Amino acid sequence: MSDLAIPTLQTEARRERSAIGSLRLVQTACILVIALVIVSPLFMLLIASLKDDRFQILADMGSFRAFWVSNPRLSNFAEVSNLSGELAFGRYLLNSLFILGCTVGAGLIVNSMAGFVLAWGTLRGRALVLSLVIALYVIPQESIIMPLVIMVSRAGMTDTFAVQIVPWVASPLYIFLFYQFFAQLPKELFEAAEMDGASVFRIYRSIFLPLSLPALATVSILMGIESWNQYLWPILVTQTDYARPIAVAIATFFGQDSIYWDRAMAASVLMMIPILALYLAFQRWFVSSFVGSAVKG
Amino acid sequence: MTLQQPALPATAVATRPARRRDRARLFQEIGMLAPAVALLTIFLVVPFLLSFWTAMTNQPLVPRPTPVRFIGLTNFLRIFKDDLFWTSLWNVSRFTFWILPVQCGLAFATALLLHQKLPLRNFFRGLFFLPAITSMVVVCVIWGTLLQYPTGPFNQVIGFLSGGRIQPIDWLGDPNWAMFSIVLLSAWQAYGFQMIVYLAGLQGIPDELYDAARIDGANAFQRFWHVTMPGLRPTHVFVLVITTIQAFKLYTQVAILTQGGPRSSTETVVHYMVRAGFEEQKLGYASAVSVILFLIVLVIALLQRQLLRRFDV
Repeated sequence: MSDLAIPTLQTEARRERSAIGSLRLVQTACILVIALVIVSPLFMLLIASLKDDRFQILADMGSFRAFWVSNPRLSNFAEVSNLSGELAFGRYLLNSLFILGCTVGAGLIVNSMAGFVLAWGTLRGRALVLSLVIALYVIPQESIIMPLVIMVSRAGMTDTFAVQIVPWVASPLYIFLFYQFFAQLPKELFEAAEMDGASVFRIYRSIFLPLSLPALATVSILMGIESWNQYLWPILVTQTDYARPIAVAIATFFGQDSIYWDRAMAASVLMMIPILALYLAFQRWFVSSFVGSAVKG
Repeated sequence: MTLQQPALPATAVATRPARRRDRARLFQEIGMLAPAVALLTIFLVVPFLLSFWTAMTNQPLVPRPTPVRFIGLTNFLRIFKDDLFWTSLWNVSRFTFWILPVQCGLAFATALLLHQKLPLRNFFRGLFFLPAITSMVVVCVIWGTLLQYPTGPFNQVIGFLSGGRIQPIDWLGDPNWAMFSIVLLSAWQAYGFQMIVYLAGLQGIPDELYDAARIDGANAFQRFWHVTMPGLRPTHVFVLVITTIQAFKLYTQVAILTQGGPRSSTETVVHYMVRAGFEEQKLGYASAVSVILFLIVLVIALLQRQLLRRFDV
């Protein structure tokens, strides 16, 4: 049986290998085409932000000059990175960074603590809390936003940083991701520490949290993207420059009669830099762990 | 207290320090769970329950001297009589119909390609995720220029390829094209997430299945059809459902690029809700729309559970 099977498998494999050679070529070509479609708009954005003539930007579009700049200038960036005044994108960027930092920082602590207790605690009713949390995941942000606006304006929270941070710190999705991550860690870890007399909080802080870098990275990236890209909520609860995030500020370019594309593009590039940095820093852990939890979630 | 450790003989002589430790542990656990529970209650559960109440009142945005009245299902009846609401529902359905094949198809194809042992595949995987971390507002800046009428890059390329026979298209200003343009830029922005989910699904199919199929003499296409596709069933369900739910929440790109126009061709349910609540200041009415949105999302999510159960995962 095996004498028969091995030679046929080998010839089969050889035939396949030559077919694979040409298939590889087609596949690589496909990848490159997709890469072109995905990257060229972003590349065009970067190039256009370096041109200081806004009419030239539009004129260059649609030709190869959209992907080339002969004398790059940073004047657009200088124009939009003020900290106050009309084009205070420097300020809006800092606002957004502050909101992101607080949301993600608090979110990591609050959600991971909850996930830990749900996975390893002894509280009665844990299972009930867990299933409630999962059920809450179904509620979309858009469908609670109307009453939430009344609530925060009654509380006098409009136009603050807090109103853009506090409501989005705790999240069913991230509690669940942490729960899932902690629950699959070995039981011995918990028992050994407990035997040594460590308290629950201590076990969480000194043993489980240091082991959960992949989960922390995943939640940081997901929460970061979410917070960075918030649009509907901030337009409803910010009226002045004070706490306005950069996404809302960039959108105001579209309200004008003729759009200053040069400035809009420079501001857009500014907006991409921090989230890109966050992504690059955590990407290594993000893909592998997001991958594990996504389908089950 | 002693309930938690019935198997241990020590419970019979539960000493005072042990009990104190148990209580301390309980307090710690409550303390660790409390922030999340409190925040979720205040900012998710309460507004969610409130939305059902507000939906049955004539609550305005700015408080008026006249008291808020309970008006039963009047808001819902008004919504169902409003043609614009049905238009918005029809539009998000059209959007869903287009975005599912475009976005999920692209994501699936890319994941299949990247699952092969190609050179630089991790680099490409990172690269293809870039649009997904790009804010929708930035996407609108980029695509707003790409789709410019009449001389934007899209029109130039089409004009060049057709030798000038095809007239420039007003991508965002023509009611026949506006929603399609929104589909294109939305798919470009969001497909990276679906790609990663598909990659996970592909990694979850054991290699032994492919080896077994090969020994049975299955060719590449047969292996794809009889091994890959069945193995990806839960992934397909997950991706399709998530994409559909996202599609029904379509808002930002429409609010920025078309404001629901031209001639309401890109009006969406969320845009309709925000306009009712904040331009017309009818918060009660808008809450009723949000309740309807929630019910739609709920039905889709329940459908997912049902489908997953049928596939036995």
